[in-house]
Amino acid sequence: MSQRVAIVGVGMTRHTSRRPDVNDGELINEAVTAALADAQLSIKDIDSVVIGNMDFFEGHYLSDAMMMDYTGARLKKGLKMNTGGTVGSMEVVSGFYNVASGICDTCLVIGWEKHDETAVTPAISTMGDASLDRPFVVGALTGLAIEGIEYMHRTGCQLEHAAMARAQSSQNAARNPHAHLRDKYTPEEVMNARMVQYPLNLLMVCPTSVGACVTILAGEKKAKKISKKPVWIKDHTTVHPEYTGNHYQGQFDLPGYPRRTSMMMAGSTILKRNHITQPMKEIQVFEMYDPCAFVQMSWLEDFGICGHAEGWKMMEKGMTALEGAFPVNPSGGVLCTNAIGDSGIMRVAEAALQIRGDAGEHQVTRDVRTALASGFGGAFWTDLLLLKKDLD
Amino acid sequence: MKSNTVPEFILHDVMLKIPYKWAAGEYMGEFLTQLKESGRIYSNRCPNCGRYSCPPRPVCGVCHTKTEPRDKWKAIGPQGTLLGFCVTEQSFMVPNTGKMLEVPYSIGIILLDGAPVTLQHRLAESNTEKLKPGMRVEAVFKPKEQRLGDIFDIIHFKTIS
Repeated sequence: MSQRVAIVGVGMTRHTSRRPDVNDGELINEAVTAALADAQLSIKDIDSVVIGNMDFFEGHYLSDAMMMDYTGARLKKGLKMNTGGTVGSMEVVSGFYNVASGICDTCLVIGWEKHDETAVTPAISTMGDASLDRPFVVGALTGLAIEGIEYMHRTGCQLEHAAMARAQSSQNAARNPHAHLRDKYTPEEVMNARMVQYPLNLLMVCPTSVGACVTILAGEKKAKKISKKPVWIKDHTTVHPEYTGNHYQGQFDLPGYPRRTSMMMAGSTILKRNHITQPMKEIQVFEMYDPCAFVQMSWLEDFGICGHAEGWKMMEKGMTALEGAFPVNPSGGVLCTNAIGDSGIMRVAEAALQIRGDAGEHQVTRDVRTALASGFGGAFWTDLLLLKKDLD
Repeated sequence: MKSNTVPEFILHDVMLKIPYKWAAGEYMGEFLTQLKESGRIYSNRCPNCGRYSCPPRPVCGVCHTKTEPRDKWKAIGPQGTLLGFCVTEQSFMVPNTGKMLEVPYSIGIILLDGAPVTLQHRLAESNTEKLKPGMRVEAVFKPKEQRLGDIFDIIHFKTIS
């Protein structure tokens, strides 16, 4: 009964700071309509609908029911995800299970966020334990800021490298019509931005965006029938570390040596299981959930793409640029576009567009046959998906 | 008269004010009680894999084994080594209180003496020039009569030479 699964349609809205002209459903419907058009399907062809966001941002929790007119989910199978930063990537994983099981042949996967509707920081801080965590968790940034300090201390990376990484992302986002922050910056301009949470300044952290993204998944037979360019979900994994009030405890491989366990576990699982020994050669592009400027360097190391202290050197040499030897986030990434419930699904969608050769102005120069996409949650929960152009 | 080139949209003001009472639980409750009563920071250990937790937790997150009971908890710190930090310069709404944060506000990850385990807490020092991973810090407690049985019974960690 089980079957292989492909992405056969992608749709996304433009991303911006505010969309007072639409409500949640109207926003979602823009992406649903775009994805159905991309797949050349009608809603009648869809068997199940997976929808997700982070409830606290919009202030209501029955989105799967409330949005039904706009999603097309009436009388269909489906479920709702609400897992913070990993919502989007978890939804694709969930859609995969729907289809791979053979229970459904097609699944419409919707992620969105409307960050213009409330203050993001107090809402996002509800992820933390009230006894130990919330008094110190100042939004999403605390852990990432501490991790930046730790990365610089451990590897010799400088603050200037984070600025270079952000400047590089800005070059990519400028070429992506669906990106939110599309202004180009030099590393010097990034360095001069207002400090938010040392060492992260305003340009080194992701924005709060409004947007929606949809992918349509189909089983093997159906995908081959309806799509000229199906993108196969070859493998994926989801890794939870234990939840800890602070961001290092529980992450020790050795006493006193903090590591991001879930990233390492996800990377090694996917690479080993697919016999990938030279990841920078065998994988041609990585759409990484990069909520701050350090992590598109540091997490390359943790995922096992490169060795210890090599992430920032790769970026410095231009290897992770759009035209580079191993492009990371040619879309501009989460650093330039972050509607949280759609950020994870956007990584998968952008990776799929790269494989299809349909990324337009931000299409990488390498021939993309294999791509990685990751999702990240505030408690260091990691999803990693391996996409392929060809079925083995 | 408003410009007719700028459309007006109807936006509903919705204020959710929902008070919660969270149970700290048996182990966290005892940890907080000990901050208040004895001014000690306790950790406990997994008898199976040896992993320490601070605050103590009833079940080991690594191997899912029942951890050491109360009579075997170990007081650690109050001194320790700073592993990482951040300094908040821009004020945000504090999620537990709804009030705006007084900045600068610095947070450290402290490897406490006595067990390979860290605690996250405030730092007295907020000058980023003076903060370095590896520096030594020490917990400063409120006077006993002012303690409430919460994590701020420790005011912050101060720098020690």
